[in-house]
Amino acid sequence: MSDTESRGTKQCVSCGIQVSGMNAARFACPDCGATIHRCAKCRKQSNLYECHDCGFRGP
Amino acid sequence: MSEDNDAVELDEDAETEAVDADVEEEADTTEESTADAGAEEASADAETETEADAEAAAEEAAAADDVAVEGDEADEEATPFDDDVMPDDDVDLLIPVEDYLSAGVHIGTQQKTADMERFIHRVRDDGLYVLDVSETDGRIRTAADFLANYDPEQILVTSSRQYGRFPAQKFADAVGARARTGRFIPGTLTNPDYAGYIEPDVVVVTDPIGDAQAVKEAITVGIPVIAMCDSNNQLSNVDLVIPTNNKGRRALSVVYWLLANETLDRRGADTVFALEDFEDEL
Repeated sequence: MSDTESRGTKQCVSCGIQVSGMNAARFACPDCGATIHRCAKCRKQSNLYECHDCGFRGP
Repeated sequence: MSEDNDAVELDEDAETEAVDADVEEEADTTEESTADAGAEEASADAETETEADAEAAAEEAAAADDVAVEGDEADEEATPFDDDVMPDDDVDLLIPVEDYLSAGVHIGTQQKTADMERFIHRVRDDGLYVLDVSETDGRIRTAADFLANYDPEQILVTSSRQYGRFPAQKFADAVGARARTGRFIPGTLTNPDYAGYIEPDVVVVTDPIGDAQAVKEAITVGIPVIAMCDSNNQLSNVDLVIPTNNKGRRALSVVYWLLANETLDRRGADTVFALEDFEDEL
């Protein structure tokens, strides 16, 4: 996998920023199991996220 | 001594009923004689009788309608729970909506946050916000799906709230998870030198306010947080919300019970727990 592709899979689902560092989270979508990345800022601000595959809206 | 008194009271009641019956019989007789006299008068004037009957029928019909309306109002008042707790009444729930209502799962607080607004169905006259029970039901299923993906021992359940301690512990026992009830020792997730240090993969908290230390440490180590949130909770650093009354004893028991059974069901386990297993004795 190229660097671009690996970076693309670690984008925050809410804001699209490259997820790095601490306080970010990665988990499987509760509905479909697709991987979801949330950056620290979106978690702290409780920004809504939406699964790209199934459309599940959280938190 | 008391038995004798009871017997005397019973005798007095029986006598009173007998007297009442006599009075009713006399009243019936009087009504009959009055009706007979009325009938004789009516036979003298047929047109008057017809008009009187029509009027009486109309009055009776109106009275019957009034009684029916009053009966409906009485039925509504007699209903123990206000069942306006979700927008669509035809939703298939895990348990009957009456069970949710009797446990008070839908009862929110008099404060609300913008984060929780989408889980609130309406506001009551007394200012309490009512949570959408269908959302609660759906999120319990979603959380069960979520937890079923994890190794049971890597699930951590916390509850600093008194009423949540017993059901949280029972939930942990049921699904094979670990529980930290009472005070959450700082460093449990972050300090490897601490004897009780653990590295779970997901945290379930009963109240993000009371379990703030657990949420804080879960954020530090980067694991997802599932939280049971009331209408006054903020969703900061929460990854999955279960909207519910997180202050009531029975409400927490019901939610943890459903979550345990659903999680076990997702794993294909045959074990089914009863609600009584999750209810602490007072």
